[in-house]
Amino acid sequence: MTQSEAIAQLQPIFDELFMEKVELTPELTAKDVEDWDSLLQISISLAVEQHFGIRFRVGEVEATKSVGDFADLICRRVAGN
Amino acid sequence: MLPSAAATLAPEVRGLAALKDAVLRRDPMFFGLLRERTAAAHTCEEVLLLATLRKKAERKGLVTELPSLRVALVGGYTLYPLNELIGHFLFTAKPPGSFHAEFLLGDYDNYISEILDPSSKLYEFKPEVIVFLPSSRRCRYSGNLLDARDKQEAEGRNIATQILDLCRVANSRGGAEIILANFPLPGRFDPGPYRARTLGSDWSFRKFVNLELGLNAPSYVHICDAEFLSARRGTLASWDARGWFESKQAYSPDMSVDVARECAYLAASLRVAPKKVAVLDLDNTLWGGVVGDDGLDGIEIGDTSPRGESFKAFQQYLLSLTHRGILLAVCSKNDYEKAIEPFEKHPEMVLRMKDIVAFKANWQPKSENIRQIAAELNLGLDSLVFIDDNPAEIEIVKQFVPEVETVLLSDDPSEYVGALQDTRYFEPRNLTAEDLERVDQYKREAQRRELLAAVTDMDAYLESLGMEAAIREFRTVDVPRISQLINKSNQFNLTTRRRTEAQVQEAMADPVYFGFTVRLADRFGDHGLISIVIGKVAGGEAEVDTWLMSCRVLKRQVEELVLNELVRLALARGCSRIKGVYVPSAKNGMVRNHYQALGFTPTLTSADRLEFELDPRLYAERPVRIRVAEKSYDTK
Repeated sequence: MTQSEAIAQLQPIFDELFMEKVELTPELTAKDVEDWDSLLQISISLAVEQHFGIRFRVGEVEATKSVGDFADLICRRVAGN
Repeated sequence: MLPSAAATLAPEVRGLAALKDAVLRRDPMFFGLLRERTAAAHTCEEVLLLATLRKKAERKGLVTELPSLRVALVGGYTLYPLNELIGHFLFTAKPPGSFHAEFLLGDYDNYISEILDPSSKLYEFKPEVIVFLPSSRRCRYSGNLLDARDKQEAEGRNIATQILDLCRVANSRGGAEIILANFPLPGRFDPGPYRARTLGSDWSFRKFVNLELGLNAPSYVHICDAEFLSARRGTLASWDARGWFESKQAYSPDMSVDVARECAYLAASLRVAPKKVAVLDLDNTLWGGVVGDDGLDGIEIGDTSPRGESFKAFQQYLLSLTHRGILLAVCSKNDYEKAIEPFEKHPEMVLRMKDIVAFKANWQPKSENIRQIAAELNLGLDSLVFIDDNPAEIEIVKQFVPEVETVLLSDDPSEYVGALQDTRYFEPRNLTAEDLERVDQYKREAQRRELLAAVTDMDAYLESLGMEAAIREFRTVDVPRISQLINKSNQFNLTTRRRTEAQVQEAMADPVYFGFTVRLADRFGDHGLISIVIGKVAGGEAEVDTWLMSCRVLKRQVEELVLNELVRLALARGCSRIKGVYVPSAKNGMVRNHYQALGFTPTLTSADRLEFELDPRLYAERPVRIRVAEKSYDTK
């Protein structure tokens, strides 16, 4: 899976959770989106793990700085390394 | 074509569409829907989504009036987002048990000083309810698996007593009800089957402490039985090591939902009158079949068939409820003579006429009969629960006597007992807060005396910790941790001056600077490297360039210990002045008065900087209850 494929799959998850269109780009960060607080971050992590059937390792999600980073992490976990 | 998230999310998440519509249309029906969905939700994911929706609704101007409730959370964990979950369950509880909660969150693992310190933010908040989650790490037997049982028991009792003492102090200052979470049991095999033969294993020790807590808890302490809740969910599924290491979460996300729901339930039960009467249908509720058609010999009750046995077990459970003070009434569409026959004549019946306080068997609407039962017993309709296997009867009662709670039984009598138990309507519980008011009056005077004693308890507590510190000059091996703390600490950080590892090493090499670290351990374990100080010496003055500390050792006298060392080092460098600087940030308000509290004199006050000074030559070393094993620059 590529970063853009992962982002394409993230898009409807974010739309669902934010209840409005949040245009995902690799550069987007939580600071750029008004509703993106720590509570929603927990929901995002849970929903993404469920959707992709993956489990993040300790500290990984916190270390990502942008949607692009996050998508790369998803790609690595989906690829199993 | 990529699958849409909506198609792959769990079905309960997909069903939220109606709720979202209600938010967008600003439909007040939203709150009823929200309550239903929340009651049915069991995963953290779903409850968080519902909580987010609720906030969204509020932002869109959908409001509902609820009484407020001030809830403080303290404990050995990060208490966010547990408070969000508790707040959501309080909001969506059935009135009058529903509240708009305001929260105060204690700092991570700082509960002992928050509770003991009478001027802490906990008491400033004036909580009505305190949710208290003591640390599982402190609920461990310190000795050996093979130690004598009475030694292990003594330590377990001691831990329980300390926790209940904290509850007592917290309650005595402002009268908050305490919801105390006990300890979940570990789900791993270690130390193997021997765990059950000793109190020294975490498994047995926590069970023992939990029992001690529950059996000795005073009436203002309400146990949130995390041991039970985690067993119900599964001990392995209740713990999440990743969540602990990432953000010091107490439980797995789904277990947090169980605990939050229970906390809200306990808080609500302080204000809601308990149910007093079970109003029972007869045919296919108390026995199988229809007595009017099948006759006394034709109904299924008793040990001759699995169905008959199930109905008998249900009757036995109902009879056991009467021993808790619950009244039983009958409300059945039947001829009265036929209806009473099994109670009088059937040998397998458990319930008899003497067990029934009101018996309505006629052809009137059940809603009417229920009103009459309430009137005869001189009880409010809201203390009645109606139990029937017929959905149509349940619906009529819901519509015409909405004050009465209803229980619709399934068509499988083996599930009746469980179904009724799951409603939780007839749980015996602590007295209400008002009852306690009367019962506990004579205890007040004693509590006041104890409160006075509690002020000195802080000292005794610190002494009992057996703290030991090692103070060391900056060492190369510590540089990564030093730099990490310098860049992460926000709250207890006087100047919030950040430094990379390279900059730390630079300062180490520069003779103008001195720096030391403090490691702290107590009898519960090692806190590691928890405080850092950097001083800069110039012209007979030592300026405190950096002073920071991990918040989990607040109020442990580490501040005084550090000042002692600072003075010693300043004097050794021939200084006659120590200059303290406070640079306000968005997060370090807690140390604004730090220097003054330690006896420094203010010399400069401006919006972006406070300065203080202290003459080290006039300083008397502060006594601390920390044994100092090592001081810095000792080898030089």
